[in-house]
Amino acid sequence: MSLAPAHVAGVGMVRFGRYPAEVTLERMAVGAARSALADAGADLGAVDALHVGHVFGGPVAGQRIAAQLGLDGRPVSNHENYCASGATAVREAWVALAAGLHDVVLVIGVEKMTDRVSGGVRPDPGDLDAAVGYVMAAGHAMSARRYMADHGATREQIAAVAVKNHAHSVHNPYAQYQRPVALHEVLAARPIAEPLGLLDCSPISDGAAAVLLCSPAGLRRLGIEGPVPRVLAVGLVSGAVQTGTGDLNAEDVSHRAGEEAWKLSGVGPADVDLVEMHDCFTIAEIVRMEGLGLVPRGQGAAWTADGRTSLGGRLPVNPSGGLLSRGHPVGATGAAQVCELTWQLRGTAGGRQVEGARTGLAYCKGGTVNGTDGGSVTTVVMAR
Amino acid sequence: MSPPQTAARARPFRDGLLRLDPPRLLGSHCPACGTTAFPSRTFCPRCRAGDGLVETELGVEGRVHSFTVVRQAPPGVEVPYVLAQVDLPADDVRLMARVVGVAPEEVVLDMPVTLELAPFGTAEDGTVLLGHRFTAAAEVAR
Ligand SMILES: [Zn+2]
Repeated sequence: MSLAPAHVAGVGMVRFGRYPAEVTLERMAVGAARSALADAGADLGAVDALHVGHVFGGPVAGQRIAAQLGLDGRPVSNHENYCASGATAVREAWVALAAGLHDVVLVIGVEKMTDRVSGGVRPDPGDLDAAVGYVMAAGHAMSARRYMADHGATREQIAAVAVKNHAHSVHNPYAQYQRPVALHEVLAARPIAEPLGLLDCSPISDGAAAVLLCSPAGLRRLGIEGPVPRVLAVGLVSGAVQTGTGDLNAEDVSHRAGEEAWKLSGVGPADVDLVEMHDCFTIAEIVRMEGLGLVPRGQGAAWTADGRTSLGGRLPVNPSGGLLSRGHPVGATGAAQVCELTWQLRGTAGGRQVEGARTGLAYCKGGTVNGTDGGSVTTVVMAR
Repeated sequence: MSPPQTAARARPFRDGLLRLDPPRLLGSHCPACGTTAFPSRTFCPRCRAGDGLVETELGVEGRVHSFTVVRQAPPGVEVPYVLAQVDLPADDVRLMARVVGVAPEEVVLDMPVTLELAPFGTAEDGTVLLGHRFTAAAEVAR
């Protein structure tokens, strides 16, 4: 089974970061949406529906945005899959276009976190893990400690993920951080959940990203001629209940998300030229790339330290700077990844351009559920 | 020792999660494939059997498969504390729990630990709500 691709007519972002109270969720979302519409040369009147991904935006955030933007009255839906919310909104837009329901769908991922989240994100209070003191950083710290023991990886190799991604985002005007970070800074940073420190963790951020997706009829409506980057498919899987005492870093959920992506898109892992990876923590980039099958098991840390996942390397990962450096307003991240892949596939990514990029993969993982290997995982496959 | 009336006014913080005396975690056991799950489920996560599962007490002896020392947590959560993935070899079960009875810097992989109960809060009627954690086994604790 394979659905028709969704064409990316336009993308836009507001720079991720920490904004004062007057820069509201609605204001950021409207800013990103207007940028995406301008990028496509489209008027609001051409938009059939609005899909909004967010986690902390409160009830009917999408409709609040629509009323500020000028899409009031149109079909609006809100999509929550924790850190995969933005990508899930993209997925549902792709499905609606392929089904013929709409021809032009605006997707916005948005989050205003800095005024409502502190000390790190955690599961729903009703989840058993929350009751024993689980925070997201702790889960990744346990993953890192076991990874080092099982594969002989070093703390420095894991920290190299942060060094690499910060080096990339120097060239990204939308990134929260745009300065290089040295290895010794990562190693000396304040401990958060040992062995991980502050610079192993993505920040708590505000921001918005928007994507205008079209069917072929939608492209004609907007007067867009010639090829534009396409979303070939979006895989979506959930964590499965785990049994036994096997490999803590098996990442079966990532493997399954990859299989969905390859099956739905017809693209294979060998075709991928670059990856926008959900590096909410340094170690997460390593084990998820391995779970996808894009890096050999146990070698991800060494690959990073050797530069094989850097710009100019064999398989560039997070040319945008990733979550660690672009920032991580959770509901906006999946849409921001699609923005980055679009710029990369157009060849307009400037100093962070992956030369000759033809096919890209974006991966998000959202939330945790006690006893499973994850909450929600999305895999967006795009081609130029 | 706790006075008797305190013991009488305590209950598990979640129904069906554990038994107080003696302290035991409760799981579900699948006779069809032999898999034990914690917490208890109404289906077998391995063979997907939907009935015939029986409640089972889990062994109290565990081993630290991985751990972290949490140094930053949301407001209201006291740090530092040790959080671990604890394996229960007798049941082939892994669960997440805090580890106490040992200095954070002395926790090591594969360290033996033993189940104990700890207050997880207080109900509106004053009943102590008990939950699970692990303490370093005798040969490690000082
Ligand atoms: Zn079974």
